[in-house]
Amino acid sequence: MSLQTPRILPDQLHSFHPNSTGQRTPHTVRILGTVSALHGDTATVTCGGHGDVTLLLKPDSHLQMGKLIEVVGKVTDVEGGKLGLRVLGTTDWGNPADCDYKIYEQVVNATQKIKTIFYDAE
Amino acid sequence: MDNFNSYGGQSGGGGFMPGETNSPSGGKVRIAHAISRHSTDISRKTGDRDNKTLRPVTIKQILDASSPYPEAPYQIDGADVANVLFIGQVRNISAQSTNVTYKIDDGTGEVEVKKWVDSAMADSMDTDEGTKGPGDGKNEVKLNGHARVFGAIKSFGNKRYIGAHSVRPMTDINELNCHLLEATMVHLFFTRGPPGGASGGNAQGGDAVMGGADDYAKKIYNVLKTEPQDDTGLHLQQIATKLNVPATDVARAGEELMGAGVIFSTMDEQTWAILEYE
Repeated sequence: MSLQTPRILPDQLHSFHPNSTGQRTPHTVRILGTVSALHGDTATVTCGGHGDVTLLLKPDSHLQMGKLIEVVGKVTDVEGGKLGLRVLGTTDWGNPADCDYKIYEQVVNATQKIKTIFYDAE
Repeated sequence: MDNFNSYGGQSGGGGFMPGETNSPSGGKVRIAHAISRHSTDISRKTGDRDNKTLRPVTIKQILDASSPYPEAPYQIDGADVANVLFIGQVRNISAQSTNVTYKIDDGTGEVEVKKWVDSAMADSMDTDEGTKGPGDGKNEVKLNGHARVFGAIKSFGNKRYIGAHSVRPMTDINELNCHLLEATMVHLFFTRGPPGGASGGNAQGGDAVMGGADDYAKKIYNVLKTEPQDDTGLHLQQIATKLNVPATDVARAGEELMGAGVIFSTMDEQTWAILEYE
């Protein structure tokens, strides 16, 4: 597992797709969202007002509906020509109401603008 | 100027670091530093840092920290770091007889953290002494939980680790996100200077320094900056004549500029020159 996993929002998934980025740019990223659908081996997380991301789960992933989770995963193509994440790990942060998503948006913004302290990119 | 000297002398005693001369932050320090540098021995100019800092960082910054020469303090963005503060997820816990070693990952990197076991004294930051122990839960750092760590950057052989003063559990994601923003802010402070567009370190900095100063102060500053003059600067009356404003206003605004450390008095209290650094 890549040790550098930048925090992103769904609209930045393409910037970390293995086919469209350089060697040094990580393809493993972090997103923060609320579990909004569970379908066996896939799940959907809703990232604040930034849309949904499809997750391809691991056999041992156990997510709960309505929980806020941080997902570490590899950017990959999913059904319908969209981009999703192949899950490597998840962290449960409990109730989404306890999180101010705006702060996370600012963290994503800072990560992109001030890359040097967060990850190496080409 | 005596107090300026003592300021520089005091902090300069911390030791002059060769190789530190080119530190990016060196040119962008606060006015206080610039004053001490201006008025004291120039060779001290890089030794004037307070080294009791606790700096919020990302783990990548710790791994990227440089040490100008063996045994020298680590530097991040050209500033010495004594202690660092970060939050990350606990990937491994290994309890030994003398210390507990944690592997901490914050999404920017991974670092080993060693916390020495002090059986005589429970974490002295705890106000509820005596409750610490296995099974308590409250102060326990759990595997895959998050922890807030502060300590010093150390190295053993080629391996870098954190000698932790404190490793405590952290459960609020807002705290994690805020920490990352805080680390960003401090990074920007050291690489781009203080907020508000102040560039510091050069004469242009005067404009930003005087952000809050009134019109008279700005005019006086410009006169002092542009008028031909010798080392002693210009007298209050000369400035008043030049600007065609009452001498009392010039005196008041001049006080303000002196208070801000932008100008200083030379021959007498009414003769001022711009305090230029670099």
